[in-house]
Amino acid sequence: MGYAAAFLAADLGMKVTLIDPEVNPGGVCLYRGCIPSKALLHVAKLIEESRQARNWGIEFGNPKIDVSRLRSWKEGVVKKLTGGLGTLSKQRSVQYVQGWAGFENSTTLRVTKPDKTEETLTCDRVILATGSRPAIIPSLKLDSPRMMDSTAALDLTDVPATLLVVGGGYIGLELGTVYAALGTKVTVVEMLPGLLPGADRDLVLPLHKRLEKMFDSILLNTTVAGLQEDNSGIRVSFSGSAAPAERQQAASLQGERVFDKVLVSVGRKPNSEIAGLENTSVTVNPRGFIEVNRQLQTDDPVIYAIGDVVGEPMLAHKASHEGRTAVEAIAGHKVAFEPNAIPAVVFTDPEIAWCGLTQTQAEKENREIRVAKFPWGASGRAMTLDRTEGMTKLLIDPATERVLGMGIVGAGAGELISEGVLAIEMGALARDLELTIHPHPTLSETIMEAAEVFYGQATDIYRPKKN
Amino acid sequence: MTEFKLPELGENIDQGDLVRLMIAPGATITEGQPVMELETDKAVVEVPSSVSGTVRDIRVKEGEKIKVGQVIFTVENGTGNVARAPSQASASAPPATAAQVAPPPPPAPPARASAPAAADPTEFRLPELGENIDQGDLVRLMISPGARVSEGQPVMELETDKAVVEVPSSVSGVVKEIRVKEGDKVKVGEVIFTLEGGAVAPPQRPKAAPVEHVSGQVAARLAFQAAIKAEGKTEEQALPPDQPQPIPQTFTMPVQLGKVAGTDHGEPVPAAPHVRRLARELGVDIHQVPGTGPGGRISEDDVKAYSKALLVSAVQAPRATHFAEPVLPDFAKWGKIERVAMRGVRRKTAEHLWEAWSTIPHVTQHDKADITELEQLRARFAPKAEEAGGKMTVTAIALKVCASALKVFPQFNASIDMGKEEIIYKQYINIGVAVDTDRGLLVPVIRDVDKKNIVELAAELTQLSQKARDKKLTPAEMEGGSFTITNLGGIGGTGFSPIVNHPEVAILGLSRSSIEPVWMNGKFEARRVLPVSLSYDHRLIDGADAARFLRWIAEAFEQPFLLSVQG
Repeated sequence: MGYAAAFLAADLGMKVTLIDPEVNPGGVCLYRGCIPSKALLHVAKLIEESRQARNWGIEFGNPKIDVSRLRSWKEGVVKKLTGGLGTLSKQRSVQYVQGWAGFENSTTLRVTKPDKTEETLTCDRVILATGSRPAIIPSLKLDSPRMMDSTAALDLTDVPATLLVVGGGYIGLELGTVYAALGTKVTVVEMLPGLLPGADRDLVLPLHKRLEKMFDSILLNTTVAGLQEDNSGIRVSFSGSAAPAERQQAASLQGERVFDKVLVSVGRKPNSEIAGLENTSVTVNPRGFIEVNRQLQTDDPVIYAIGDVVGEPMLAHKASHEGRTAVEAIAGHKVAFEPNAIPAVVFTDPEIAWCGLTQTQAEKENREIRVAKFPWGASGRAMTLDRTEGMTKLLIDPATERVLGMGIVGAGAGELISEGVLAIEMGALARDLELTIHPHPTLSETIMEAAEVFYGQATDIYRPKKN
Repeated sequence: MTEFKLPELGENIDQGDLVRLMIAPGATITEGQPVMELETDKAVVEVPSSVSGTVRDIRVKEGEKIKVGQVIFTVENGTGNVARAPSQASASAPPATAAQVAPPPPPAPPARASAPAAADPTEFRLPELGENIDQGDLVRLMISPGARVSEGQPVMELETDKAVVEVPSSVSGVVKEIRVKEGDKVKVGEVIFTLEGGAVAPPQRPKAAPVEHVSGQVAARLAFQAAIKAEGKTEEQALPPDQPQPIPQTFTMPVQLGKVAGTDHGEPVPAAPHVRRLARELGVDIHQVPGTGPGGRISEDDVKAYSKALLVSAVQAPRATHFAEPVLPDFAKWGKIERVAMRGVRRKTAEHLWEAWSTIPHVTQHDKADITELEQLRARFAPKAEEAGGKMTVTAIALKVCASALKVFPQFNASIDMGKEEIIYKQYINIGVAVDTDRGLLVPVIRDVDKKNIVELAAELTQLSQKARDKKLTPAEMEGGSFTITNLGGIGGTGFSPIVNHPEVAILGLSRSSIEPVWMNGKFEARRVLPVSLSYDHRLIDGADAARFLRWIAEAFEQPFLLSVQG
């Protein structure tokens, strides 16, 4: 998200140079993250819906998938967006330098360009937005084209017959969904007892149920013990301390299984190994994140840092907001990065989205909250979509009735969550959501109805308030 | 002749309405003295003078709109601190040119040009920070080797015993070597860093004075202003324009801000993003702002009102203490003196009693109790108390007497909540007893006095007093009192006015009993009489009630039987 900061700085009248190894600005999100994955997930959703259409009396037959055309469409989206950013840079007179930068001192940077020539730049302030990269576990390191990280998986070189996804986080599940829709038999292995660790369990449950149908198998409480490549593929051995519920599944896989490809998605690592960083006063913490204050200023007062490299959550929208804050701080405005809510969205099918306080967090902090849930089984709109597995919930402060958090699982949850973010940022009460007219019939009504549930009177379900 | 012009007031504030002028022609003013009140669209601010001297003519009237840079008044025999008023014209400048509106004319040469700091332009030494400050702890370094510093840019935060101060550089150039570390004690005149090549600070520029952290408020603002002024620019020029304009030439890198107010908390506050932004801009800690909206939601108006209240109190507070704590004369003129830090119990006592005295309208009621019979009983029951490990003192008996009286008169066992306009009646009777220790006055509290007999009370009192003298009292043992007894009878005296132990509403003082002739049964009899004094909070307790309460106590001393009948 360096480009967002660069553009704002230019708009504020600063002389800006943007350094990136790619031909055009864009970063992880555009090149290797949000954008290409969402293009593929859109396709996956279409395929899934075409299959589901049988329930409604419509038969499409099996889709014929031209992987190379699909790939070039996805690449076209990326190219269009990043190319657009290149043009915007020029329009703003942002000097774009393709290359790798290292610090000579806090305000002097040496840039190595693709043709190996070097250029030295000096400046008053630096913003580091180096992002993150897929984490690698040494025991899962195997030099083979069959081994993929998220970047390789997004390249979509082929559609393997079988795929093992190591890691049940959002990246693994999103990419697993893509490959499953394209016809791959997908197995997910997660060492913790549930998918999407950290998310509220009631939000994960409907997704888990659907993924169980979509994927070949989901192995919880299981780790990969070893990897070996032979002619038939990657031979994977598992070791599991599977909980009773999953024991049966895990047992069938104890020992070895062979996969055409293996996707390792066990998290991301901040790119804080910046050349010459030791020539500055920037502090990198033991987890590899650059330490910053609320103005995104590092321990070196002339250097700022934003995005994945400064900490969780590693989300593009967090990074761009941080970029704004850093630039405004540099411009002398009294600003601070202290949002009341950062939305998180998992673009699986169904989607999961949440913002503000989560139930898991509230329980951990032993904090008293009231939770109001509205199941989508009572939503007319969800029924017309044949997607009634969703659920909308509000986390409410019992003393003030302030909305502290929102969680949604269901089709389009990612689009719905913004209302929750706004409610929390504005300090809205559950009453405000209840009294705001929502269009009918839409899924957004479920937010209003969840607030009605809190007050014990919802049109579409009967659940009197307990006191 | 020296002119005083309206200085910069803050971001985007270029004018204000003159609400009140606080000076008159012929008046002598000193630098820092407030000279007028100005209402801007953000708040009412008191504007301090940056010049000293005798006011000659005042060029503005109350009710007028005044612009930044406009001449307010002129002084004779004046001296001006350039750092605080860079808009001040030199004596030779004709008033006509000086009277122009922003941007202010180039500032005059520094008044403190002879400052020992920054003699050598290739190094930066810690400048004078203020009267009697010769060193400070380096809290934060804001530069690093290789960084470019410009004159006026804050380079470090220093904690002196008065305040945390941001120290601006007096030199410009590229930092070569930093000679100090965070955590170091740095002395005035000590070299902080050196410059490469040795860029020279332009002599016309004023030395920016260190800026005090006034609650993080104003500080960043002033630091910013100081730096911009050092560059001879207005804030408007230094700050980015509101409309995006792709003209990079207009941007000047501003000085970095120190801490932004209210950013040390993690908890979300019920305030919309634009309201939180406003608070940061005004230097208000949003977490301190009371929200008037539903669920405590904080509105823009709440922030403005709070900010205004802060400014007004900040302006008034020093004045209030100025009257309350007059400046002390130099006692050393008359002989040798010793200054000792007021610590621990003494400081706490001073604060607490000052608070009690200034909060509570005190009245003291005096009475006398005939304790002739009680003395006989006391002598008789003393061995019983001793068996229980206590001493049957008048105070021990007074505890029981007061507990009974408080049951009969519950308003003496109460507190006042003026904020909520409520009276808090306590359903328990915990009585504090003032104990004189070599550390000072301590007040251990005896709990549930009404549920204990005199022998038990005597034992507990003896124990707690001993603990107090042995410095073994815990804070918990001094909390939760609802009434207090103080007995000076052991030392002497015929009566005194104790101060109510706030938030209690009454205190009983006992003095020394003595044999007095009392007219009884048609003749004078020699009786032992105990002077009792009751100070009370007149907000809650009427004089007549106090008289009845104290009479009840006196009678209970005279006829201990009353305790079992009425108590």
